[in-house]
Amino acid sequence: MTSQLDWLWPSPSTLFRWCIVVALAVFAVTTPGFLSPTSLRSLLSTASLVGCVAVGMTFVTMSGNIMSFSLGASLSATTVVFVWLLPYGAAAAVTGALLFGAGINAVQGLVIGYFRANPIIVSMAAFALILGVFTMLTGGRGIYITTNDAEIFNTNFSFVPGPLMAFAACALVGQAILRFTRFGRQVFLLGSNPRAALAAGMEPWRTVTWAYALAGLFTTVTAVLIASRYGSGDLQHGTGFEYQAISAVLVGGTAIQGGNGSVLRTFIGTMLIAIFKAVLILRGFSIELQQLLIGVVVLLVIMLQWRAGDLK
Amino acid sequence: MIAATAALNEMQTPAVPPKVLNARNLSKRFGHIQALENAAIELEAGEIRAVCGENGAGKSTLVKILTGILQSDTGNIEIDGRAVHIKSPRDSQEVGLNLVSQELSICPDLSVLDNIWLGSIEVPMFHRKKAFRNRARKTLEMLGAAHIDLDQPAAKLSTGERQIVEIARMLGRDTRILILDEPTATLSDSEIERVMQALKALKREGHAILYITHRLSEVFEICDTVTVMRNGREVLAANVSDLDRKALIEAMLGRPFEEMYPTHKPASGEAAALRIANLNIPGAVDKLNLVVPRGQIVCLTGQVGSGAEDVVHAVAGMLVEAEGDISVNGRRLQPGFPEKAKKLGIRFVSGDRAEEGIFIGLSVTDNLVATRLDARGLAGVLSPGALKKEAARLAEKIRFDRRRLASVASTLSGGNQQKLAFGRCIDHGKPGVIVMIEPTRGIDVGARAEIYQLMRDFCDQGYGLLIASTDFSEVLGIGDRIVTLYRGKVVQTYHAGQVTMPQIVADVTHPVMS
Repeated sequence: MTSQLDWLWPSPSTLFRWCIVVALAVFAVTTPGFLSPTSLRSLLSTASLVGCVAVGMTFVTMSGNIMSFSLGASLSATTVVFVWLLPYGAAAAVTGALLFGAGINAVQGLVIGYFRANPIIVSMAAFALILGVFTMLTGGRGIYITTNDAEIFNTNFSFVPGPLMAFAACALVGQAILRFTRFGRQVFLLGSNPRAALAAGMEPWRTVTWAYALAGLFTTVTAVLIASRYGSGDLQHGTGFEYQAISAVLVGGTAIQGGNGSVLRTFIGTMLIAIFKAVLILRGFSIELQQLLIGVVVLLVIMLQWRAGDLK
Repeated sequence: MIAATAALNEMQTPAVPPKVLNARNLSKRFGHIQALENAAIELEAGEIRAVCGENGAGKSTLVKILTGILQSDTGNIEIDGRAVHIKSPRDSQEVGLNLVSQELSICPDLSVLDNIWLGSIEVPMFHRKKAFRNRARKTLEMLGAAHIDLDQPAAKLSTGERQIVEIARMLGRDTRILILDEPTATLSDSEIERVMQALKALKREGHAILYITHRLSEVFEICDTVTVMRNGREVLAANVSDLDRKALIEAMLGRPFEEMYPTHKPASGEAAALRIANLNIPGAVDKLNLVVPRGQIVCLTGQVGSGAEDVVHAVAGMLVEAEGDISVNGRRLQPGFPEKAKKLGIRFVSGDRAEEGIFIGLSVTDNLVATRLDARGLAGVLSPGALKKEAARLAEKIRFDRRRLASVASTLSGGNQQKLAFGRCIDHGKPGVIVMIEPTRGIDVGARAEIYQLMRDFCDQGYGLLIASTDFSEVLGIGDRIVTLYRGKVVQTYHAGQVTMPQIVADVTHPVMS
């Protein structure tokens, strides 16, 4: 008898999650100005920029490598590369930026996968390395787009902001890769139990390298959008993006230890954080308080995940 | 007449001291699963009580309730005649119940002394008094382990010695009742003997011990009483001396005991599936030669550290340092590359299921198709339908309930998890070699018979099986060829039926090397 009614009683963690969503929705809708077109558009655009990076981060987390500290630096460097290449045409600039973004992250993946180096340390080293090299190359100054070649990446589709389209596309592609490809399956397997993956005769280093390359590719999408939006390539553009991205991944409910999660969850996580942030801004919370509250929410969610794992 | 009645009364009532542990009517429900139903357990001073039962019988729920990890829905627990309420692991320790768990909680880099006093509230933080040292020494002496140096790091101890240090730690905490959860699961026979001696010493000292085990021989060797559990209920509580092995197994299974091992396959002229020549593994194996014919099971056996596991790891391609010739169906293996071993047709079933064997957080389907993703789909795109179909087909082959394909592996019993690992190995074109370490470690008696039958099935399909096991009755029961090892060298190779248990024990402990 109880079994038939089970669906009425979701697990405590699911229940809690729904409570958060409902509370946030009520909170948002009752906030004056939240539903105005301008506010919604700016909310969605900002969220989408973080979102593409978060989609990439999902692959790193899912493959059992926690997070990459260098995605923000990679984003900054890619804006510079994009602006450099822009004189050769938009297509060449995008291709070059994608190759660069994928490349510098794939190298990290290779080091982590093949030499079994600690992912946190490698990405921190990469962070310093990328910023160091690019500060030398640019002298630390931003470089500006002088033509209007990049305007195409700065268009909106009537009401829908361009970045949102890009984010939605990234999320769909990312989810499809994770669910329906051999590589995606291997990400699950590897994140679930790397030693078993090795013992079963898989080649984990390939999977890890591809996961990082994909993280770089998705990050590049944001890089192109940001460079076009601000009309410049600058090493400050990506500051903090890795933290915002990992927050979105975790709040979405992807397990920090890997092997359990999805890109769609990341999409939801990104949106939740963005709405929360927008509400805080509209209600006049100071920037310090905003950060503090977001930190509290991320912590709560992670604690809830561990607890849910215990209770299972 | 009146005097006689009075005397009788006196004999029946108070004079008997209260039981050290008396737990009654313990019940626990998870959702709609009754994990424990009116279970009872009693212990007297100086008594060792075995708790047996298949996986899922309720043993671990009982332990968790006693140690405060779970709270029972009903029932009461008395210690020395006093009712106690155990609401947390801390409560449990305060009333003198202590658990020595399966997973050792030794800190390898700390000294033996530090490990013994680890977590004890008696010890001041930065000060080590001589008294603590003396007490530790005395405890180890009592446990028959006086040879253990208190100052060496725990990492240098053997697994059995670590187990003893762990028991010593519990004794330092004023333990009334010691609970041991399969303490010997990962020990070799001589190591087990060491732990057994320690337990006998504890018994002499009047400690009460609850001993959870899968190994029936240990029940008969050291336990006074036994409680058998099945489906959350206590089905038998008896003195060990009133039982025989068969009766015990039947109580656990709840049905008559059929033959556990399938029949042996007579040696045939089949070609070698696996050939090992001059295998050297620095520090582990010395010039080993071995042939595994198609359709046969070859068992490598020895104590922990005999090199049997290393041979299997080397064949699985996991040891870069292995030297020598390993060839499968005539093709040579390059050591150190599991994926190359896989391409040659070698499949590995780890003895450590949770760590190295299966993907515990993923579904049955995901586990079954894990290693056969490369053969399917165009441009890396997989069809979920095809994967499900494939998993269902494999489930059939390993006699796994098809209705449970969507279950998460962590919810399965040890036996079913092992079936998943088996299912991953078969059906990759031409039959190759399956290598395994401790294929039935932590698997209950009922499921074992099924696992052995599956191993025979694989043989019939043309696979050659190489197994490393420290369970001698298993080796005798399943091995068509038995290879005894001692410190990395082959002692003897026997055909099935040519060797007895005492001979194997002699080979692996004090070998007469040719």
